[in-house]
Amino acid sequence: MRLVFYSGGHDYENNVLDELLIGLSGKNPQITYIPSCSYLCDQDFREFVDQYGKFNIHNIINFPIDSDYTEVLKEEVFKSDIIHLSGGNTFYFLKHLRKTGMLSDLKRFVRNGGILTGLSAGAIIMTQSIETASFPSFDRDDNTENLKNLKSMGLVNFEFFPHYKNSKRYDKEITIYSKKTDKPVYACPDGSGIVIDHDKIHFVGKAYCFHQGKKFILK
Amino acid sequence: MGDSTIKNIPNLESKLKKFNSLDGSHPFKKVLPEGFVDYQARIRPGAKVRFFNFDLAKEMGLIPKDHDNKLDKELTEKLKNTFGIIIINEFDIENNNEYPKKEIKDGKYMATRYLQLQHKDKKGKSSGDGRSIWNGRVRHNNQQWDVSSCGTGATRLSPATTKFNKFFENGDPTISYGCGYAEIDEGIAQALFSEVFYQNQVRTERTLAVLEFEKGYAINVRAHQSLLRPSHFFMYLKQNEVEPLKDLLDYYIESQRGLKSFEHCPKGDGKYKFFLHHFARVFGGISATFENEYIFCWLDWDGDNILMDGSIIDYGSIRQFGLFHSEYRYDDVDRFSTSILEQREKARYIVQTFAQVVDYIQSGEKKNVHAFKRDECLKIFDQEFENQKNKSLLFKIGFSEKEVTSLLKNELKIILQYRKVFSYFERAKSKKGIIKVADGISWDAIFCMRDILRTLPKLMITRKSKIEDDEFISILKSNYATEEDCEINPYRSKMIRSFQDLYWKLIELVAKNNRTSFEKQILDVSMRASVINKTARVTGDSVSLIVEQLLKERDKLSVGEIYDVIKDFAQIQNFNPLQTPVENREVSGLVKKFFEIVKEHREGL
Repeated sequence: MRLVFYSGGHDYENNVLDELLIGLSGKNPQITYIPSCSYLCDQDFREFVDQYGKFNIHNIINFPIDSDYTEVLKEEVFKSDIIHLSGGNTFYFLKHLRKTGMLSDLKRFVRNGGILTGLSAGAIIMTQSIETASFPSFDRDDNTENLKNLKSMGLVNFEFFPHYKNSKRYDKEITIYSKKTDKPVYACPDGSGIVIDHDKIHFVGKAYCFHQGKKFILK
Repeated sequence: MGDSTIKNIPNLESKLKKFNSLDGSHPFKKVLPEGFVDYQARIRPGAKVRFFNFDLAKEMGLIPKDHDNKLDKELTEKLKNTFGIIIINEFDIENNNEYPKKEIKDGKYMATRYLQLQHKDKKGKSSGDGRSIWNGRVRHNNQQWDVSSCGTGATRLSPATTKFNKFFENGDPTISYGCGYAEIDEGIAQALFSEVFYQNQVRTERTLAVLEFEKGYAINVRAHQSLLRPSHFFMYLKQNEVEPLKDLLDYYIESQRGLKSFEHCPKGDGKYKFFLHHFARVFGGISATFENEYIFCWLDWDGDNILMDGSIIDYGSIRQFGLFHSEYRYDDVDRFSTSILEQREKARYIVQTFAQVVDYIQSGEKKNVHAFKRDECLKIFDQEFENQKNKSLLFKIGFSEKEVTSLLKNELKIILQYRKVFSYFERAKSKKGIIKVADGISWDAIFCMRDILRTLPKLMITRKSKIEDDEFISILKSNYATEEDCEINPYRSKMIRSFQDLYWKLIELVAKNNRTSFEKQILDVSMRASVINKTARVTGDSVSLIVEQLLKERDKLSVGEIYDVIKDFAQIQNFNPLQTPVENREVSGLVKKFFEIVKEHREGL
C-alpha cells in the first residue's frame, strides 16, 4: 500500500513530499486529480498541474465526481499511477465519493498497487473516519450535507488532522477528541505530511501525535 | 417616502445625486418629439427593493465606489423614490382619477414608439413601450447609460390597447400583459440571466434594480449604453418618414462617438456607410454567438428584442439551451417564434433593412428592401458570421486567442472540414421527431458537444491515441438519445474517425507552432476546455427553477445577500478559462443549491 498524506500549504512547501511521491511512482507517472467539488475546481487543477509540471509531469487529468462523468474516462482514472484527492469540504467530498461508489473503487486501486494521495480533506478521507474535519470549532468544515455516517476509507490505523498549528487552542480540542478514539491522531502543519510505502511510515516536516489525551512530538 | 430625509443630509445627497438625473428627461425627447408618449407619474406605494446591482450602480456613478454592498435607509429611499413610480395614464385621465400633488413626480417619463410585429398595422403607429417608461440617462466617466423601467403602468402603446381599442387601468387583472405591470419572477430571472451573459461577454442589457409590490408585481429597472432598438428606426421606415428617420440615425451615431468602435467614424455623410458596416459586423457577430452558445433570442423583421449594438433586451422569451435544440420554437399564442437557426437570416434581414434605411436617408427615395439583397453590408455580415463561427469552434476546443488567430490565418481548410463534422454531431436529432414542450415545440438534439470537448482531450492524455466509436458515442450521447438514436452506421463511424483525426491534427499543428510537445499542448487544451465546456451550464429551464427557489427565500435575505447570491452564481457560470480567481471561495448554501439545479437541467431548453 502506497499513500501520501499532505496537510496543505503552498506548492513550494510540499516539495519534499512531492519528490518522495515521484520516488514511489517512478518517472512520468499518469496522475488523476479528483477535486472535492466540481465548481471552481479548474483553478485548483491548474495549480496542481503547475506543481507537477516542475517535475516534468504532464500526464494529468481532472476528474470531478460530483457531476456527470463517463465510464470510459472512469476506467482510465483507475489505470493511473497516482490518484490525488484534493482539499475542500470533507463532508461534501465523502458524500459524493460514497454516492458514486468511488470509495470501494479507490480501495481496490490501492490494493492493486496504485498510489493514493490526499491533501487536507482528501487526506482525511483516506483514514477510517472524517471526524477530524468537524473540529476545532474555529476552523472546521461545515457539514452542510448533514452527513451522519462519517465512516471513510479506513486505509490506515490512524486519524489525520491537517493544517495543524502548534497552539493551545488546537491542542485542547484535539486532545479532547483523542480521548474518544482508540486510534492515534497524527496532526501535521501545512507543508508537512506522511508517506506510507507498504510497511514503512515516513513523517515529512513537523508532525505530532495525539493519543488517549496526550500529545507527542513525532518529528 | 420622498426626499425629505435625504435633503437633510447634504453629504449623502451629493453622493447619490446622479439619481436625480433619472427624472424622465432624455435627449431623445428633443430629437424626436413624435417618437414617444410622455406620461406624468406618481409614487407607487408599497415598494420593497428586492434586487440592486451594486457593481453596476458604481460603474454608472450612482453610488460611490466605496459603497458597501448593503442597502442603507437613504439609498433605499432614493431607489423607491426614483424607480417606485407608476404612470398617470389615459385611463386615469378619462376617469378623472386624482392623486395627491405630493405624490406626483416633477418630470414626465416617455414610452417610446417602435415597430412590433404583434401589432396589426405593421407600421408602428400604435406600438412601443407598452408597460415601460424611460427614467432617463446617466453619464459617468465618459460613458452613458439609458435607464428604463418595466412594469410602470399601461401605456397606450401596449398591444391590448390597440386590440380592444380602449385604455386600460393600471393593474387591470382582466388583461394580464396589457395591465402594464411586470412580475417579480421576470425581474429576478432577467437579473440572473443577464449577469451570467454579461460575465461571458454576451452583449446584453443589465438589471439595475427590482422593486417588488403587492401580489408579486414588480418594477424591473434595466440599464444599457443605449436602449434604442432597430425597431425604433424601422417604424419611421415603414411610415415613409425620412426626416425623423434621419434625425434618429444622426442622433444614434452621435451618441456612439465616445465609443472606441466609433472613433474612426467620419463626420460627414460617410458616417452612414461607417455605421452600416459596423452594424453589419456587430449583427453578424451576435448571430454567430447566439448559434454557438445556443442562445434563443427571438429575432424577427421588426427588429424588436435586440438593441442597436446587438445586446439582448427583454428576457421574456430568452433561453439558453443545453444542447443544440435547433428546432425549438416558442409558442406565442397566435404564432410560433423563429428557431435558433433562423436567427441568422432574421439578423441578416435586419442588416439589409438598415441598408435600405441608409439609402433612403441619403437618396430621399425609398427603394424596395429586396433591392439591397446584394449590398456590401451583407457580405460583411456573412464574413463576420463565418469568422465568429470558426473562432468559437476553435475556442471551444480549448485553444487560446493567439492560437485561434494563427489557425484561422493558416489552416482554414482543415477548420472548415472540422466544422462540418462538428455540425453533423451537434445537429443530430432524435428519431422521435417534433414534440410539444412546456412553452412551444421542439425536436430534441441528442448529442452533447460540450461533453466530448471536455472529455476527449483527457482520454488523449491518458491513452495517447484516439478512442473507439462506441466510446465516442457513449461520451457524446445525452439523456435525450435513445439506443436507436445512437446507432453507429458506417457513415457515423466515418464521421467519428474524421472528428478525431481533424481534432488531433489541429492539436498537432498548434503544438508545432508553439514549439511544444503534443503532450503539453493537449494538457493545456484539456484545462481550458474543462472551463469552456463545463458540465453545468445554465439553461432557460434551470433559470426558472433557480428563480423559484430564490423567491421562496427572499424574505430571509437582505438585498445585499440577494445581490451576492446572483453575483456568485454568475461567477460560477463564467466560462472564461482565463478568469481571475473569485473573491470569495465560500459560496452560500443557496448558490450550491442553484448549482445542483443547473446540473440536473443541463441538457434542457
